[in-house]
Amino acid sequence: MNAILNKLKNMTPIQIGFYIVLVICFVVSIIFVTHNHAHYDSPIAKVTEANLVNTEEVTDINDNQDKRFMQDIMAELQNGQAKGQQIHLENEYSSSGAYDQEYEVGDELFVSIDENKEDNNLTGSITDVKRDKYIVFVAWIFIFVLLIVGKKQGLFSIISLAVNATLLTYALDVYVNTESMRLLWVCGISAVLFTVISLLIVNGFNEKTYTAIISTLLGTFLCLAITYFVLWITSENGLRYEEMEFLTRPYKAVFLAGLLLGSLGGVMDIAITIASSIFGLYESNHQISIRELKTSGMNIGKDIMGTITNILFFVYISGSIPMLILYFNNGSPVVFSLSMNLSLELARALAGGIGIVLTIPIGVYTAIFFVKRKKAKS
Amino acid sequence: MNVLVVLAIILFVLMALIGGGKGIRSFVALFLNFGVLLLTIIIMSIPTINPLIPTLMACTVISCINLFYINEVNRKTKTAFLSTMITIVLLLFFIIMVTEKAKIQGFGEEETEEISAFSLYVGVDFVKVAACMIIMSAIGSIIDVAISIASPINEIYRHNPSISRKALFTSGLKIGRDILGTDTNTLFFAFFGSYLGLLIWFKDLSYTFGEIINSNVFSAEIINILCAGIGVALIIPITAWITSYSLVKQERKSKGIRK
Repeated sequence: MNAILNKLKNMTPIQIGFYIVLVICFVVSIIFVTHNHAHYDSPIAKVTEANLVNTEEVTDINDNQDKRFMQDIMAELQNGQAKGQQIHLENEYSSSGAYDQEYEVGDELFVSIDENKEDNNLTGSITDVKRDKYIVFVAWIFIFVLLIVGKKQGLFSIISLAVNATLLTYALDVYVNTESMRLLWVCGISAVLFTVISLLIVNGFNEKTYTAIISTLLGTFLCLAITYFVLWITSENGLRYEEMEFLTRPYKAVFLAGLLLGSLGGVMDIAITIASSIFGLYESNHQISIRELKTSGMNIGKDIMGTITNILFFVYISGSIPMLILYFNNGSPVVFSLSMNLSLELARALAGGIGIVLTIPIGVYTAIFFVKRKKAKS
Repeated sequence: MNVLVVLAIILFVLMALIGGGKGIRSFVALFLNFGVLLLTIIIMSIPTINPLIPTLMACTVISCINLFYINEVNRKTKTAFLSTMITIVLLLFFIIMVTEKAKIQGFGEEETEEISAFSLYVGVDFVKVAACMIIMSAIGSIIDVAISIASPINEIYRHNPSISRKALFTSGLKIGRDILGTDTNTLFFAFFGSYLGLLIWFKDLSYTFGEIINSNVFSAEIINILCAGIGVALIIPITAWITSYSLVKQERKSKGIRK
């Protein structure tokens, strides 16, 4: 308790102000998402009663055993003209829950109300779950954990995430609303902005940041160019574009733009690590030779290239886990399922890895260029 | 020629040229990880097995590959391994709670076309699968942070053996803070790169903000990013504490023997 009080005493007014604003934001946003039903056009109902009416064992054509349940749900409408009225809903769900789920008392659901209503008994069907409050809740935990652990740097990373997300939405708006815009151009320009802004926010204006920016951009675009070249010489043999989800646009552009954005983070990661360690070495010892700087930079790169490439691999591949399970249990042969679901993800991960590895020498030489200039000046 | 084969060859050559022996080991580790991941998914798809069990086992094996195979078995990698496992178990409890509450498992409305040909009653618990998926997507970055903190703390201790446990812990946190931003960034861009199509889809079909936020696919993706970020942040104090604790404890023990 005393430690906490001491900490409070040592805080500057700006810090105290920041924490007060943060807590106010937290409380207001939680109150808002738990009471924002009036802001939705579609009716929302809160489950007040859920009864299991029927259980049935099912076996599908592939001999998978599952259970199917029927639920009778009474729910209270939270918005619209019929606010406060009870609505009767039916829900069918399975124990696997791949496309359905059990509802419990307290769950909030988007519903559609049937037109022909007799007396007070409204009926309807469930369209979706109201998930906004969970997102806001998890987002706050994320923010708090980042602030507690990361302090100032945590705050900077939250800010740079927010700026990047806003930029990305804006860039996609521009793309969708302008007929002639090519997706790859939009994403290329955004990538430059992301890099410059994120690195400047975190590191400020100095040679270290310039090194990181230059090596990130060279690394990312070189990686894109290599992938483009490989696609061209292999005539895209082995890529299963037909399995891409959510396509409203030319598939190849979406794939390449996603590849560009996806590798950007990993490349930036390795670029900033190399830049900051080389400049760190130089700052601690101005007499250090260029050769030593080069060796240290390359050694650090060797140490981390595997783990950063791994990050990309795991993120990309784990996204396909549910679909793979569906394939396997529907009797698709393993090799077929893998090539259908993983070819694009693997290509992205491999290309990202190429970008990451290439950025090591690029970063080392760019940093040395700036160090030499500094040495010449002094 | 197959795109994947050509890309893999280029990656291998680059890793070997730039990284030497360690580069080759990193490349081999990538493929071992990939194999472990595939095997895990195959085991997960057996309905009688709780998907959490193969996932936890896979996390253990993957941590071993990335820590012990690439960096050898030593004090650094051992503490990094312990921290990784503790973080994963803690995170897993949180993730299971969130996935159950927010009902983000399985497939969304936007995916009906892809899944229409399949029987969905496969008997595998997709809520648990969703939790496993989030853990798996974060494991790479969690291990990355663990080793990048454990290793410099060991260096500091080596250069300055009289350092206090608290000072070691604080320097570990400081190093962690520098990595936090770049790792959350890596995760963020990797996710948005792979869901770029979805974002354009929302814009093209003019989804309202409310529809986007509440849709299964989008909320699952956001919760995935946030949970991975929480994991990356959580492992910083855990590794810093475990590493500094074990180092200083060892010191006292050896002093005791000398007495």
